[in-house]
Amino acid sequence: MTVAANVSLTGFRYWYPNAREPALNGIDLDFADGIALLGGASGSGKSSLLRVFNGLVPHFHGGMVSGSAKVCDHDVVTTTTRVLARRVGFVFQDPELQSVYAGVDRDVAFGLENVGVAATEMPGRVAEALERTGISHLRGRAVATLSGGERQRLALAGVLAMRPRLLVLDEPLAQLDDAGARALVSTLGELASAGTAVVVAEHRFEHLAGLPGRRLAIDSGRVVDPGERFTTRISGAELRIPTHAVPTRAGATGAWGLTDVATGPAGAPLLEGVSLVGRAGEVIALVGPNGGGKTTLLRTIAGLLSPISGSVERAPGRVAFLPQNPMALLHRPTVAAEVAWTLRAGSLGRDPGDILRDLGLAHLAERDPRDLSSGERQRAAIAAVLAGAPDIALLDEPTRGMDTAAREALCRVVATMRAAGSAIVIATHDKQLVGALADRTVAVGAGSARELTTVAVA
Amino acid sequence: MNPRALALWSLSAVTIALATGNPVYRVVVLLCALNLLVVMRRPGTSLRGLVIALVVAAVIAMAVTTLASHTGHHVLASLPSGIPVIGGPLTFEAAAFGVATGLGIAASVLGAASLSVVLQPHELIDALPAALARTGAAVGTALNLIPGVARSAVEIRDAQRMRGWRSRRIREWPDLAVPVVLTALESSLTMAEAMEARGYGSGARTHYAEQVWRGGDLIVAVVAAVAAAVFVGLRIAGVITDWYPFPDLAWPHVEVAGVMCCVALTVPLLVWRR
Repeated sequence: MTVAANVSLTGFRYWYPNAREPALNGIDLDFADGIALLGGASGSGKSSLLRVFNGLVPHFHGGMVSGSAKVCDHDVVTTTTRVLARRVGFVFQDPELQSVYAGVDRDVAFGLENVGVAATEMPGRVAEALERTGISHLRGRAVATLSGGERQRLALAGVLAMRPRLLVLDEPLAQLDDAGARALVSTLGELASAGTAVVVAEHRFEHLAGLPGRRLAIDSGRVVDPGERFTTRISGAELRIPTHAVPTRAGATGAWGLTDVATGPAGAPLLEGVSLVGRAGEVIALVGPNGGGKTTLLRTIAGLLSPISGSVERAPGRVAFLPQNPMALLHRPTVAAEVAWTLRAGSLGRDPGDILRDLGLAHLAERDPRDLSSGERQRAAIAAVLAGAPDIALLDEPTRGMDTAAREALCRVVATMRAAGSAIVIATHDKQLVGALADRTVAVGAGSARELTTVAVA
Repeated sequence: MNPRALALWSLSAVTIALATGNPVYRVVVLLCALNLLVVMRRPGTSLRGLVIALVVAAVIAMAVTTLASHTGHHVLASLPSGIPVIGGPLTFEAAAFGVATGLGIAASVLGAASLSVVLQPHELIDALPAALARTGAAVGTALNLIPGVARSAVEIRDAQRMRGWRSRRIREWPDLAVPVVLTALESSLTMAEAMEARGYGSGARTHYAEQVWRGGDLIVAVVAAVAAAVFVGLRIAGVITDWYPFPDLAWPHVEVAGVMCCVALTVPLLVWRR
């Protein structure tokens, strides 16, 4: 007999350990099937709410709860996550940290092994899950060789193999290229049609706008009426930033240049014959599929990766580099100290408060970066690298995990830097960001990088 | 190949290498183990790091023995006797004994390394007894985190370098070490959360791939086990003697039966194919 998802939260409140304010503050929510899209600002409580559905809140994270929460007819407060795992599948934000085993097939089977599915039944369920997520061709591959997008789909396959009644996804599109996002959305639609309840928390709703189902919004730990404000954002509105004048290329000076460069990790060329020039006061967007070489190109421009052949030139001045993982940067006790560290290391006599205000982080200045939500962490990392107006700024997926307001703040900061003469290169899947900021767009993939005459984001 | 058969082979190789100080037997075991690793290692696995580490360990063992043991009639050089521990004559016998020690270390490590170089971590975990299944899964997961931590360490170093961090200043090393450690801890917690969410620990585990014994596996297991048992038996019986170069260096005595036991460790190469 199929058990319905039957999610029912009544007056549910949750406090993280040692927290004075509740992360979830009186959630009332009921749904049984279909798709529910959950929007909300960074730090609003989306991830905490999702973790209630499979009991990670409170069983894994600890803390206090009040009110009631039932999922698939189980009381979440008295049922452990490992039991709920038989009914509820959860796909986390970071696919790299969901792979338990080194091989694709084996990793998909991990959950099946845990719940004691017979060995004879497993190969069929693994094959079915791989087929459903469109990665059958990855059978037998080592997980370490997969791109971020492939890993995201692998994580989904591992969850689908367990045939969950409720599927929960936390920002599943954050690392996916356009094709990957479309494939995922299609899969979610099929699952919902087949009777699986699906909850998706996202900031990038442009791909999800066509999915039927409920729209939910969360604000300060409460589920609120999506209303017009949220509906507008959920439908994929354009970013609102000040209009800017496209710089005059003729007068702009070259800030960096690649001449016939072949580059790639471990001496294996991922890109060949790349010749590009970046100018002061210009934003270049690098677009292309997962694994196409955008990060490799950024690292080469930064000087972190030596070209296999060809030459790389950079004008004198400070180069700022934002890696995909914001935690690679954050190690000081507060956000303000993090920014001050960059300014001190570069002997830059600026006030850390300036960039924090520009990025809407002033209220988080004294918070520990590791206590922030993923979107807030990303902004803190951006503040840490962009402090002091670098001459060249290289940003790898800067809007990952960011809500619309944060992305708009980033756009304003980048626009200001451009006006001040910085040369900026952004690797991104974010179409809206490209549309809002890019003076030139370079498509990276299939072994090369070429400038596009019109903006097209993969 | 059955991982349990390889584990038995590995145990046999280590047993023979450690059962005697005779460098001839140790050399044969070392060559068998190295041959197995070269031929049967997982695709894409490099032995460079392992070999370098072994050479370093063997050289250190040899140097320590040579410098600290002042016994033997053939003096190569002398250090002032006032120097603690290493002061005194440095002998050819001590150097030879150091070589034998280094060979023993290298042969043992290469024998054991087959488990990590030839097998996937999950194959080894699956070979554990049922009582250790949960522990094995946890260990396997931890092993899987290592490459990620190594990657993040490089990423953190690069990111900090771009912010002005300089590796030349020792007092700035915490700016690299702290985020690496914190990121590793955070990754571990996230991984644990993901495992919990996928039902880890909910009851008795099953295995995706059942490990079956084929004829070749049985041959490897039996031949390796018999070889080790015979070698140890001959050693206890005094047929295979130990080698001790002090006070006068002498060629090690070699028994054909002992060499045959060592050579029997080539059996995986005859019956298994990668």
